Amino acid sequence: MTFSSYDFLKVERHGQVGWLINNRPEQLNAMNSGMRDEFELAWKELDADPAVRVIVHTGEGRAFQTGVDVTEIATDGQGFERYRESMENFDIRFTAWHNKVWKPVITAINGICAGGGFHWVADADIVIAASDATFFDPHVSVGQVVSVEAIGLMRKMPVEAVMRMAFVGRYERMSAQRAYELGMLSEVVDPPERLREAAQELAEKIAKNSPAAMAATKRALVGALELGLTDACKAGAAELVSMWGHPDQTEGPLAFTEKREPDWADLPSTPHDGADVGEARDS
Amino acid sequence: MTSPVAEYETLIVERRGPVGWLIFNRPDAANAMDATMLAELERAWLELDADPGVRVIVNSGAGRAFQTGVDVVQMSRDREAMREQSRRTRDATLKLTAWHNQVWKPVIAAVNGVCAGGGLHFVADADIVIAASTATFLDPHVSVGQVTAYEAIGLLRMMPVEPMMRMAFTGRSERMSASRAYELGMISQVVDPPEGLWDAAQELAEKVAKNSPAAMAATKRALWGALEQGLTDACKAGAAELVSMWGHPDQTEGPLAFTEKREPDWAPIHAGDHAP
Repeated sequence: MTFSSYDFLKVERHGQVGWLINNRPEQLNAMNSGMRDEFELAWKELDADPAVRVIVHTGEGRAFQTGVDVTEIATDGQGFERYRESMENFDIRFTAWHNKVWKPVITAINGICAGGGFHWVADADIVIAASDATFFDPHVSVGQVVSVEAIGLMRKMPVEAVMRMAFVGRYERMSAQRAYELGMLSEVVDPPERLREAAQELAEKIAKNSPAAMAATKRALVGALELGLTDACKAGAAELVSMWGHPDQTEGPLAFTEKREPDWADLPSTPHDGADVGEARDS
Repeated sequence: MTSPVAEYETLIVERRGPVGWLIFNRPDAANAMDATMLAELERAWLELDADPGVRVIVNSGAGRAFQTGVDVVQMSRDREAMREQSRRTRDATLKLTAWHNQVWKPVIAAVNGVCAGGGLHFVADADIVIAASTATFLDPHVSVGQVTAYEAIGLLRMMPVEPMMRMAFTGRSERMSASRAYELGMISQVVDPPEGLWDAAQELAEKVAKNSPAAMAATKRALWGALEQGLTDACKAGAAELVSMWGHPDQTEGPLAFTEKREPDWAPIHAGDHAP
């Protein structure tokens, strides 16, 4: 089922799983202005749909994502100026994290992931990859700075590997296997053609869990990346306590006892504007 | 091509093409840092950082050891010689590593042998770390009544924490192998046979040297600065570094060279150009 029309993305539902697919295969899924604008719409559409419990993000063709469309930058007379205001204010809307999506997001890397493509690796909750996927960051090889996406990755995996990619630029590629060893991703799918099937399978496991508990968990864990340890634990404890009394906390053990799937409460349909767990509980 | 610089007693400082080499050179003392080396390190980092012919720096050791920390022999015999260093340790104003000296060129540590205790400073503060297959890592501080702090704190932000804690508390009774350090992502390359280490480091450094010096300096400031802050604040500061390069000549030259299938002619940078 496709509910909305996008020029540069595909947005689909498969059961409780929302799919967001980069769809400029001829341009290796490089992000032009149109795709940039559609990302914000697509994340918000999937986040607002209570039937979507988890989101998978992947790409069409032989690349996952290769960052900003440099052809557009070089030819449209506007260049990077298009991004200046949003970057200077750090108000970009490319990823689920940028758009404050609190549903679990799985990135499924189907091929080349280069440069700005790392935004969607850094900002996903779970990352899996086809066995022939490759990773590299060519920014400094064309005079660009490596920044936001690497800063995200550095909190999630060994830093040296991120630094090496940043400084070697286009002269080396990391394999899916090495990315797995380093904990940058948690599953290598072989043969690579099975990637989407594996992503759907994983997403369906996640979709079995309490949406409200997962949203509070995501806020606690992603929020912890902002703080020192004790402060992060304090904020995390608040998220934890906020779920006490939520109907899912009765339904979960009951369903287990009755040997059936739980009937979870839906998340509120617009969890965006500063929604806290209190609102989720009221739904 | 090597331009010898005579005025170091305890280090070798060399240029090989665009690559600056800083080599610990007290092989008979397992490259332990005595008062002379401690003073010379600051001078050597600043010399290589100030030289626009140097695009990237490799740090390694002569002999069997990479670096084994402060020279405890000198410390026990001549406390006076170490007084200045003790003050700097207390005040957290050490000048041992590239990071301490605010060197914004990429630094590759090439660990040639044992790296112990204070030697871990140079692993924690490098951008890229490679090692000979025979290299080993240990932290004997607590085995001699010393505290493990700075170097482990740096590594804690860069790799899985449990192995660092284990190293801190097992002290001299255990060593980590180069292959385990590779598995953990503490280093990104194990060179075997070990004799190939310096060639491998030079080869890697020459790849890095092909990239825009200005973009690498801004990248290094963004990524190291990120270790100081929460995620969103770090991204904001990083976005400012990113935007700071827009309009820089390298951003025209890079794509142009790529299109014309030639090496880019990057603008040189000078030490202090991009002082934060």
